Amino acid sequence: MKTPGHLGEVMALDRLVHEPARLLILAVLAGAKQVEFGFLENMSGLSKGNLSSHMSKLETGGLVAVKKSFRGKRPLTELSITAAGRRALAAYRQQLAMVMQELPEPTAATKRK
Amino acid sequence: MPANVQGRLRQVEELTRSYARYSRSAGGLSSVLGGVLCLIAYFGGPLLPSMPLTRAVLIAIPAGWLLAKGWMTHHYYQRLGHVEQQETPAERRMHRLCVAVVLLVALAITAGLGTVAKQHSWFLPAGMLGYLALLWLLVLATWRWLRSPLDFIIGVFLFCQAALVSGGGYYPLVGTTHTHQAMLMSLVALMFPLVALAMIAKGLAEHRQFRILRQRLEQLRQSTSAEA
Repeated sequence: MKTPGHLGEVMALDRLVHEPARLLILAVLAGAKQVEFGFLENMSGLSKGNLSSHMSKLETGGLVAVKKSFRGKRPLTELSITAAGRRALAAYRQQLAMVMQELPEPTAATKRK
Repeated sequence: MPANVQGRLRQVEELTRSYARYSRSAGGLSSVLGGVLCLIAYFGGPLLPSMPLTRAVLIAIPAGWLLAKGWMTHHYYQRLGHVEQQETPAERRMHRLCVAVVLLVALAITAGLGTVAKQHSWFLPAGMLGYLALLWLLVLATWRWLRSPLDFIIGVFLFCQAALVSGGGYYPLVGTTHTHQAMLMSLVALMFPLVALAMIAKGLAEHRQFRILRQRLEQLRQSTSAEA
């Protein structure tokens, strides 16, 4: 069975990027050279564990680089988006725009609902 | 949802970029402080009585400013977490050029003073050693902290004035000198109080922008927390 055009585009979305929390992390990282873990925690509203889990997935996928060090006695985790990460985010944006274009306009009946 | 997501992504990226500016190119109140200190150093050098205390204060001004700058960045402007600004290639080139210029000047002056010292059995008075130390601290400061053009100009003046005070002199005010060399020096130095005023205006504008940015970040944080 052939998938309709817009469904095909939806299916083609990069799932590693598509998840809302990971998308937010990538968007934050795209705006800077390096971001401290605490800032992401503040902005995302996610728990440390949850954020770490998303961070690990992005790191495994090669979209994010993680640098761990110490500031005095405090552990310091800094993240940056890789070139592959920037490309993936840009591609995701394009795909999303295409999905929007291909989705059918809501009918009058659905608008009334 | 997708249109919303696109807009949201851009907003998050733009807010992060604005916040990151305060790690490097935007100083806010630390720029205001730099401007005020520049005016104090410019007028204080020639107008204040040359006592050990006033000289010590003038020498300590650049280090004090850099410390205050770091403190304000860490405890106020980047309180939500450190986010480092992405430099553009042009900014990177400009910064390297500034470091290279300062380094060359420091090398030339060190070589000149070395030649003089050699003629006096390698003896240099303490003031001159202080002058050299401040000169090399300027090279370090330019490489590490003075990353925007205004920061660089103010930093150079503060360090040079401190170095001159350490060596027993100062930048003269316009109209107070008669030799050609001093008059030229006073005319060149005239740009520093003007840059200081520009720096104060820029710092105040940046601080106002930061207060708006902080509110927008707080709104974003609340909305993402609610969604999470």
